[in-house]
Amino acid sequence: MLKFILRRLGVMLLTAFALTFVVFYLTNLAPNLEKLARSEGSVRMTEEAVTAWIEQNGHSGPVLMRYGQWLGVVPGWTFTDEKGVTRGRCIAQDGDAALAPRYCGVLQGNWGYSTVFKQPVGPALLEKLGATGWLMLWVMIVMVPVSLILGVLSGMREGSAMDRTLSTFAIVSTATPEYVSGVVLVALFATATTGLSPLLIDMGLLEPKKTLFLASSTSAMDNITFWNFTLPVMTIALYGIGYIARMTRASMTEVMTQQYIRTARLKGVNFRSVVMKHALRNALIAPFTVIMLQFPWLLNGVVITETLFNYKGFGWTLVTAASNNDIQLLLGCSVVAVLVVLVTQLISDIGYVYLNPRIRIS
Amino acid sequence: MTGNLTPKKLHPAALAYAQEVTAGTMDRREFLTRATALGVSAAGAYGLLGIKAPAVAQEAKAGGVIRMAMEVKGTKDPRLADWPQIANIYRGWLEYLIQYNSDGTFEGRLLESWEANADATEYTLKVRQGVTWNNGDPFTADDVVRNFARWTDGNVEGNAMASRFPGLVDEATKTMREGAVTKVDDSTVKLSLSISDIAVVPNLADYPSAVVHSSFKDGDDPSANPIGTGPYIPQEVSVGQRVVLVRAPNHTWWGGTSPLDEIHYIDFGTDPAAMVALFSSDEVDANYESVGEFIDILDGMGLTKEEADTASTIVVRMNSSSDLYKDKAVRQAIQLAVDPAVVLELGYNNLGKTGENHHCFPIHPEYAEIPKQTINPAGLPAALEAAGLKDTELEVISLDDGWESATTAAVVAQIRDAGATIKHTVMPGSTFWNDWQKYPFSSTTWNHRPLAVQNMSLAYTSTGSWNETAMANPEFDKLMAEALAIADAEKRKEVNAKLEAILQDEGYIINPFSRSLFRHHKEGFAGLAQHPAFEHHHYKWSVA
Repeated sequence: MLKFILRRLGVMLLTAFALTFVVFYLTNLAPNLEKLARSEGSVRMTEEAVTAWIEQNGHSGPVLMRYGQWLGVVPGWTFTDEKGVTRGRCIAQDGDAALAPRYCGVLQGNWGYSTVFKQPVGPALLEKLGATGWLMLWVMIVMVPVSLILGVLSGMREGSAMDRTLSTFAIVSTATPEYVSGVVLVALFATATTGLSPLLIDMGLLEPKKTLFLASSTSAMDNITFWNFTLPVMTIALYGIGYIARMTRASMTEVMTQQYIRTARLKGVNFRSVVMKHALRNALIAPFTVIMLQFPWLLNGVVITETLFNYKGFGWTLVTAASNNDIQLLLGCSVVAVLVVLVTQLISDIGYVYLNPRIRIS
Repeated sequence: MTGNLTPKKLHPAALAYAQEVTAGTMDRREFLTRATALGVSAAGAYGLLGIKAPAVAQEAKAGGVIRMAMEVKGTKDPRLADWPQIANIYRGWLEYLIQYNSDGTFEGRLLESWEANADATEYTLKVRQGVTWNNGDPFTADDVVRNFARWTDGNVEGNAMASRFPGLVDEATKTMREGAVTKVDDSTVKLSLSISDIAVVPNLADYPSAVVHSSFKDGDDPSANPIGTGPYIPQEVSVGQRVVLVRAPNHTWWGGTSPLDEIHYIDFGTDPAAMVALFSSDEVDANYESVGEFIDILDGMGLTKEEADTASTIVVRMNSSSDLYKDKAVRQAIQLAVDPAVVLELGYNNLGKTGENHHCFPIHPEYAEIPKQTINPAGLPAALEAAGLKDTELEVISLDDGWESATTAAVVAQIRDAGATIKHTVMPGSTFWNDWQKYPFSSTTWNHRPLAVQNMSLAYTSTGSWNETAMANPEFDKLMAEALAIADAEKRKEVNAKLEAILQDEGYIINPFSRSLFRHHKEGFAGLAQHPAFEHHHYKWSVA
């Protein structure tokens, strides 16, 4: 067991290493550095000034060495300008160059400085991850119970009218990507001129010029309300609900055809107890893995949803970092993404063992 | 007619201008721009016309908060600032020597007054007394001199101010010339220019020229240690999210009490459609700018519309460092294939005035009428064939912002109709700015500047720092130097007519229209007039 976990952690480190190097390489391509120079210095800088900026801000030299600086195995860059002021990776603003450490990379716990947000990557990412955490939490709270109930209901009597109806809903919702469902939801619930809101206003159920829900979740950064948070949560949850419901249904129908279920029915146990006591636990093994695999997918979904609803979390940060070529922040984002994917996989593997004693980790 | 001003204190040209207004050869707005640029106070300028200055709104009520939707970009050293949005944040605590108002007048802020000599080579600046920094230091003539040294430093990469004061700079060291800016006494600073320069006053009012404290370290973020003379300080600056300006504690602002308690800038992205939703859900009180079709929609929502008449414009320009457009005949033919009136209608809903392909508009004091161009789409195929470009596909690049891409699309469509093979590539802001100055053919928006020669010298002289066309016409350069030395706009007009003609003839730019700028805000707010250069004068804002 311990060996298994250790091996998984090793894979995680290797993946993070490989991914960050790829990201580092791509963000350090010459045109990307030029873009960075122009947005950091001034869009009006000349060609020469851009080259000088790149050199003076530690973006020149071999890629491997610079990657080493980020890791903390190569000494951080320094530059002394003509006024004798020394800047460098390891030197804080207003800091004394002589006192600064030589190495300051990830190994030393320094995640670098975000050029877009003008603050260290660590706190910037943590704050944004917190916001995304709330979004994910509410998505899970909505998605997991709803999808399990739908899946069990449609799977316990395969082919019934209820199964057909719920399956149709599940297939439609999981076949609709976030960037479609988000726009549809906004049009239906959050515009003053189309969808439900004008109808409700006509009926006197809503104040004039208001909308049922808010199309922008920016205010949810400070204060989450039903009004400003429903649409982004529903946008992400809808996709997952259909998917998990389908998986649960498949697993449930399989369990319902097993011999022991038939035996229980023949013994005279009522249908309700058969489903609750005999079928459910076995039917939930597959959905458990699927739910754990939803975490990486959620990370993906938040990129679109947060941008659409202007909610400033991890997904929005990733988009902002990428469009501004914020190297250090992008690297931080990649590490977070690797962690989320592999940790949830680890949990799912371990949890699987507990749910299904036939499987052993060795 | 000279009101209560003693004529001998007035710049001679100002009196001449006033006579022109009476004679009807100059309109009132032009007069205000020119007279105040020469050091006549706004009230004095109105006085010269024998009318009273428009009454400033009665004492505004103190208190209240405004939520303004604006992109929140990271603040940077003001002289490096490349967006008005950046300046609008530090305007909370940093102030300017001179301010350009929405009505075309110049007003002294940290300067009490200023005077220019007859050929605009010597300016006397009177420093306002009784101004303090929010850390308690008094604001003095030394601060003014020090800031001039910062602005004129051409060794700083991307210093937007460096090329603005050619008369103050030592060309060898690219820094301020010895003796160019001198402190006469505690309240007087004298500028001695090596060449005539009429743009000193407008340049001092432009957004990168905010005045910073002596403790400000070059290149730093001004919000990190916000020492300024203004009434507010930043409580929070979260890039991409929000800025909160609050009253500076323990600071007596020289201007009295700025009405609003807090100013919140919230970043909701740049999608104009989102603004409609934001207003309807009461998440903002005012927007940065209303554009295109959304002006009508916002009007329909019962919001108050503010309009500013400007020389803001869009230039669809070719770059002659590309082989495609190095031939003047090709450029001219492309330029004449586009009818500005059609572009204005399709691209900007007729919310402006048609332009004449020379980046100069009637509201500029030196605007000269030159013979109208004849639009001639029929000439394009022949010109392309002669240059061997008959089968080459041309490409015009534009940003994906609503009206910019619509305008560019209208230009492209007309060139296509005239017989060229051409495509329109729309890029999001994240990739567009990558290499924008190098695109062979693309559209760029230009903000309003008070004098026409300001834009033209920046954009079309061979040494202009914002020259995206690669235009290098020695005749144009020579005439521009000449124009920049003529304080009398009426005389400058003659030179400007030639400049306009050269620019048209070179064919680099399609300059279809000047646009009016709009803003909407909820009822119950006052003083939120839109500004031709998007400047936010926070102290004028109040809750009615």
